[in-house]
Amino acid sequence: MLKEKLQKFFKLDRRWIFLLLAIVLFAPIIKPIGLPNKTISRDVQNAYTYMDTLAPGSFVLFSLDYDPSTRPELQPQAIAMIRHAFQKNLRVGVVTYIAGATGLIQQAFEKVPKEYNKVYGKDYVIFPYMANAVAVLTQMSSDFYGIYDKDQDGTDARTLPVMQGIKNYKNMALVVNITGTSMLDIWVAYVGDKYKVPVIGGVTAISQPGYGPYLQTGQLKGLIGGMKGAAEYESLIKQPGKGTSGIDSLNLAHLLVLALILTSNIILLIIKYL
Amino acid sequence: MKLIKKQIPLAIVFVFGVLTLISYYIPHKKSVDFMEMMNKWENIVAAFAFFLGLISLFYSHYSKIARKVDGWGYSLFVYIGFLAMVVPAIYCHGKQMDAAGKTALGWSFSFIYNPLSATMFAILAFYIVSTAYRSFRIKSLQAFVLFVAAFILILGKVPLGQIIWTSVLGWTGAGVDQVIDWIMSYPAVAGKRGIMIGIAIGAVVTSFKIIFGIERQYMGKD
Amino acid sequence: MSETWMIAGAWIAAGLTIFLFSFLYKDNPFFKIAEHLYLGAGMGWWFQVYVYNILGPKVWTPLVVNHDWMVLIPAVLGISLVTQFIPKISWISRYGFTFLMGYGSGLAIPASLSTDFINQIGGTIKPLSMMASMTPFAIFNSLLIAFGVVCVLFYFFFSVEHKGHVKTVSNIGIYFLMIYFGAAFGNTVMARFSLLYGRFDDLYTFSDKHYFYASQLIMLAMVVYFLVHNFMGKDKKEVTEDEAAG
Repeated sequence: MLKEKLQKFFKLDRRWIFLLLAIVLFAPIIKPIGLPNKTISRDVQNAYTYMDTLAPGSFVLFSLDYDPSTRPELQPQAIAMIRHAFQKNLRVGVVTYIAGATGLIQQAFEKVPKEYNKVYGKDYVIFPYMANAVAVLTQMSSDFYGIYDKDQDGTDARTLPVMQGIKNYKNMALVVNITGTSMLDIWVAYVGDKYKVPVIGGVTAISQPGYGPYLQTGQLKGLIGGMKGAAEYESLIKQPGKGTSGIDSLNLAHLLVLALILTSNIILLIIKYL
Repeated sequence: MKLIKKQIPLAIVFVFGVLTLISYYIPHKKSVDFMEMMNKWENIVAAFAFFLGLISLFYSHYSKIARKVDGWGYSLFVYIGFLAMVVPAIYCHGKQMDAAGKTALGWSFSFIYNPLSATMFAILAFYIVSTAYRSFRIKSLQAFVLFVAAFILILGKVPLGQIIWTSVLGWTGAGVDQVIDWIMSYPAVAGKRGIMIGIAIGAVVTSFKIIFGIERQYMGKD
Repeated sequence: MSETWMIAGAWIAAGLTIFLFSFLYKDNPFFKIAEHLYLGAGMGWWFQVYVYNILGPKVWTPLVVNHDWMVLIPAVLGISLVTQFIPKISWISRYGFTFLMGYGSGLAIPASLSTDFINQIGGTIKPLSMMASMTPFAIFNSLLIAFGVVCVLFYFFFSVEHKGHVKTVSNIGIYFLMIYFGAAFGNTVMARFSLLYGRFDDLYTFSDKHYFYASQLIMLAMVVYFLVHNFMGKDKKEVTEDEAAG
């Protein structure tokens, strides 16, 4: 009798579970729980420290390779790191190898530079999308302008003040690659390893565990993973943003998954030994 | 005919493969220049590859409309979506921003492409939860190990989980973030590194097979 | 962009988002429309990016303005790919493909060798050579990685028959893989939820008075649609049942 009742739990219409998830994720957006992220993981701390100790005026190349499908995780990371670069008065160059990224890059640079009175062309520059990253990345090692002779507006890149003294990777202090694809592997393999350029990654939580080996060998100087990583970086630069509010909303949803897995397995145990 | 249909293409793969490979190891001006040219070429050829996908998508929906198969009306929306991006792009020469702010293209991106693409992937969240409930079965020791690792990760990534960990397991002196750092830095690295080395060997072998014309499935049938 | 455009955009974005989510309840025409729009819009977006970022500045300008005829070679190789669709001359596309494959393989060999093979083996062995200066826990950890990597590699060694000691070692390898997959699953959950949070956050923004309650009103319209549809659907069923009975 009880057994049959319990078995019904597994035949539950999954739309009830969908509804449950929608509620636990939506409710905190309307009324925040107020439990912001507190811990800082080692890899995010390393990324922050690396950027923080660069000399003012150093050139940092941001390769922002994500599209709307991973925006909630990666856009907050990118914004936090760009803010940090501007805080430290670093020069910022932006490239991308994902066609869907160009729109998001514009969205990010609509606001952030103004917060720090940064001027396009003098303090930062955005380059157009390029297909086939491997070819372009290899090209940049000898002559950056061989591929990027013009910026996104068609201005001759060599004449921009922000590009003064930049010819190839040797003149860059750091490469930051934020991506929802395997772009980071390409940066590590074709640039970081070969030309000894320091690389910091920002990736989705899904791909984060895959980069452990590169971190242990120092092939990556630091790594920001998912929305949690974004929240950590935001708290390090003391500028809470979408990562911080996002983590707050995920609190209940995470516990819901654990509760569901445990419930179904406990029910299974009871059925088995009844 | 066999020469231009088969042997020259195979010679192209061999020559470009070998030249690219050795250029990596020769730090000479000539090899750098060669790579520079190859990189530019590759960039252009790869851009054309996109049109393969575009043409086949257009063709398949065109034939649905032409044959009036069930639900052919939906296929019209493929073209409408395409035009919704391309027309504004032509109108503002591919610029998403100008002095006045968002252009028509920027608008299309933000309010059409962005919500569509993001929602498509967000829907997966619902399925992962129902799958976790219905199919995550801890039936063996191996599944249990997988579960423990997943449990710690899911719990420790959110502040509420960290609070729960501290109140239940705080006496151990190890914070959940330290435990996660340890898992990610050691046992998970070992697992992933084994996979990486395996894949690297496979990739190198396959690449050599392609260069020497042993693997030529990508060329299609004669 | 004027305010009116922003509000119109919010309605469209909220509408498309809710249409796609409505699939979770049941397949319906609104979902199908949004799904097909997605296919087309994605292609349209990439199309304009390729035209304005590559074909324009890298092919058209060099050819027409600078008369750099070298660009013709990759352009012709590129165009050759399209012959794929014409069965009689599809072999021409091999020229383009073989170029891409040759170049790609030539680059992949040194990169995988150094990054994912030599450096990974180096990263496993190097800590073992510095043991004298390490704490006991650090020594344990480096040994753990080395041991784990060896076990996992044994597991992948399909050419050796798995029995005796080989079997034990490769079984231990499975546990290291399980820890990695568990960690990956945990992170996947977080990643998926983050994406969903992003959509909900946008819907919440569009639910504001400023956007004339776009999210609520569209949601309401969908609920009404499903109610009406269910109601009419039941009618139809009854009719057919009646007919069957008759």
